[in-house]
Amino acid sequence: MSDVTQRLEELTLGTRLRLEELIPRESLVDLTASYHELFGVPLKVFDGSGKLLAEAGPAPSLYVWLASLRGARAALEYVVDHVKQLDPGAGDVSYPCVTGASYRVSAIQYEGRRLGRVIFGPYLGAVPAEVPPELLLAEPDLDPARALALLAEMPRAREETITQVVAHLRRGLEIILFSGHKALLTSNMHLASVKESFKELQAKNQSLQEAFDRLKELDRLKSNFLATVSHELRTPLTSIIGYSEMLHEGLAGELTGEQRDFVGTIKEKGEQLLELIKGLLDLSKLESGTMSLRKSELSIAETLNEVGSTLAPAARKKNVALSVQVSAGLPRLWGDAERLRQVFLNLTENALKFTPVGGSVTLSATATELAATATEDEEDDDGAVFFAAKRPALQVRVTDTGIGIPEAERSKVFDAFYQVDGSSTREAGGTGLGLSIVKRLVDGHDGTISIESNEPQGTVFVITLPLQRAGQR
Amino acid sequence: MQLDFVARELTIKLVYYGPALSGKTTNLQALHKAADPESSGRLMTLETRDDRTLFFDLLPLTFKGTGGLSVRLKVFTVPGQVIHASTRKLVVQGADGVAFIADSRTSETTNNATAFLDLKQNVKESGLKLKQLPLVIQFNKRDMPDIRSEEELAELAAQGREPVYLAVATRGEGVVETFMGLLYLTWTALDAANDLNKKFDFDEAALLREVAGKLGYQGSLEQLLGSSVGGVLGQRWLARKAGG
Ligand SMILES: Nc1nc2c(ncn2[C@@H]2O[C@H](COP(=O)(O)OP(=O)(O)OP(=O)(O)O)[C@@H](O)[C@H]2O)c(=O)[nH]1
Ligand SMILES: Nc1ncnc2c1ncn2[C@@H]1O[C@H](COP(=O)(O)OP(=O)(O)OP(=O)(O)O)[C@@H](O)[C@H]1O
Ligand SMILES: [Mg+2]
Ligand SMILES: [Mg+2]
Repeated sequence: MSDVTQRLEELTLGTRLRLEELIPRESLVDLTASYHELFGVPLKVFDGSGKLLAEAGPAPSLYVWLASLRGARAALEYVVDHVKQLDPGAGDVSYPCVTGASYRVSAIQYEGRRLGRVIFGPYLGAVPAEVPPELLLAEPDLDPARALALLAEMPRAREETITQVVAHLRRGLEIILFSGHKALLTSNMHLASVKESFKELQAKNQSLQEAFDRLKELDRLKSNFLATVSHELRTPLTSIIGYSEMLHEGLAGELTGEQRDFVGTIKEKGEQLLELIKGLLDLSKLESGTMSLRKSELSIAETLNEVGSTLAPAARKKNVALSVQVSAGLPRLWGDAERLRQVFLNLTENALKFTPVGGSVTLSATATELAATATEDEEDDDGAVFFAAKRPALQVRVTDTGIGIPEAERSKVFDAFYQVDGSSTREAGGTGLGLSIVKRLVDGHDGTISIESNEPQGTVFVITLPLQRAGQR
Repeated sequence: MQLDFVARELTIKLVYYGPALSGKTTNLQALHKAADPESSGRLMTLETRDDRTLFFDLLPLTFKGTGGLSVRLKVFTVPGQVIHASTRKLVVQGADGVAFIADSRTSETTNNATAFLDLKQNVKESGLKLKQLPLVIQFNKRDMPDIRSEEELAELAAQGREPVYLAVATRGEGVVETFMGLLYLTWTALDAANDLNKKFDFDEAALLREVAGKLGYQGSLEQLLGSSVGGVLGQRWLARKAGG
């Protein structure tokens, strides 16, 4: 059991309650002062272990004087000792002093348990006509005139009055103790329930973390599996394509027209399959972070021109215009030439694929800047002074006049296997891997990729690549 | 339970559990009203909002007992609202016996069951089994329309181990009966585990009579304990008396 719940149990069951916990000491001091003020009788409050918590009213001058006389002092000390040890039970008892005055001892009870005691006194019922014999017995040389004069100055109260005052104080204290107990319980309950909720949250976080770790591990296994399987598929597939190529070319004897057609189809489908497998392999390598980029200085103009000339025949066949526009004097880029070519090849292939006859596709590159912070939110320039300056970058735009990508789909098309639904797209074929590879490769170059609309028709893919050189990071 | 050998005091914790608004607080108020001021402390209501319990209510009752062993009963209610789950768990910890206050209305059947499962779960989490915990069930609000019939409850009560009581807590009906049933079951369980009657030469019948009397019950103990639906406790009580 924790400390908090243990304490709560003590508090609720009422075992081990202490007077000082239930009433602040200052309140007890104020309370005793106000009782003294009202009734003129000195009083003291002790806790359960006999420690003095509060007192009010000075010692009467008679007692101060008597304390200076040896015999009288001994007698007074004897009385005080007794009073302190008096057991009032659950109520109160009085005790006479040698001076003829009384003490009244009352228990402070809460829920049937004694938490402390209050002692009233000394007080005198009535001023005596002569010095009490007990006092003379204790101090035979006492000056009777002085004693009588001081006796007349003693605090005075009748026993019935004290009985009423004590009852009143006990009732008041009971109410105060109850409120104190309640306040104490409330704050402890607050504490305990906050602790309890925290414990529950922690347990939940723990199980979430475990689930997350398990998923991450599964994801890693999946990537590994994908990499292995696609690699293993590639080898025999390369043979299948090679042999069907040889058959197709008649290296194993002349084929009939129909046989050539069939073998041609096998070869074509085999090549499609190989492309798919290569894509999967790339993706899994990118996902597992095992694809290493071989970066060097390169010219974006060269890359884009290569892409243009590779795809020119396809564009011509489809009757779509394909052009490359690069501003003069662009700085050189630090990147993996092969992978960047793959990026723009993919994007341009898509553009051609989704642009109908008579349309146009343009690749263009310009100099720009990239915010140094990872934020893509242009509004967010708060505290810009704390962050590195914008970095110089290149922007490449792949613009087409095709079917366009609806706003809502723009963030999804970068997911693997995601294709915008619609008969026109499905006619276009493909597996939906292209953009997910593109996105990861751009990420690998610390760049950004986004989609805009080409008014009035078509799509623009905007790729921004920082110019960073080796040694700059 | 806490046994203070020096002060010769036994402190027993009883908890009123149940769905929101079933009348737990009302039960405690009725007990407080019925109790002789000499045995009952103030009813402490810890934090409420719109009369809904947020932490708990606590009614302390003190009885002289016999054999020099006095008995303190601390009767708690839990907050029934679903969101106060962790508070319920804290309050039910260390309970020696539980009274489950159900709402008799047919519309509340699912809430009763959910709260009961919640009790089971919380008792389990505190390391106990509900089976080992003295438990009585009260179907409160018998004065409302559209309530589950007495015949149906009697039939169900006969199948379960817990004594079932019918009550209208707002009128104080069935409140003392439920409480006495709970006290009786709790005492016999504590006695079985701690041999209290023998160790302290304790007269449990005298205690039960004292408590019933201080709660203003006029009839006999047999009558009182037999007042659950089907009267199971009354029979057990007679058998226990004959046996011990
Ligand atoms: N008609 C009727 N109303 C009742 C009865 N018992 C309680 N109520 C009412 O039901 C409402 C809720 O009673 P409470 O005792 O506050 O309920 P609770 O179980 O303590 O509720 P929480 O503290 O929220 O868990 C109040 O308005 C009561 O007056 C009953 O026997 N009959
Ligand atoms: N230029 C574009 N115009 C319109 N839609 C596009 C364009 N580029 C991509 N898309 C949409 O995004 C989807 C995903 O593109 P992605 O390149 O990932 O897959 P794919 O081209 O369908 O197949 P794959 O590239 O694997 O052969 C496409 O199926 C298409 O719906
Ligand atoms: Mg594609
Ligand atoms: Mg309540």
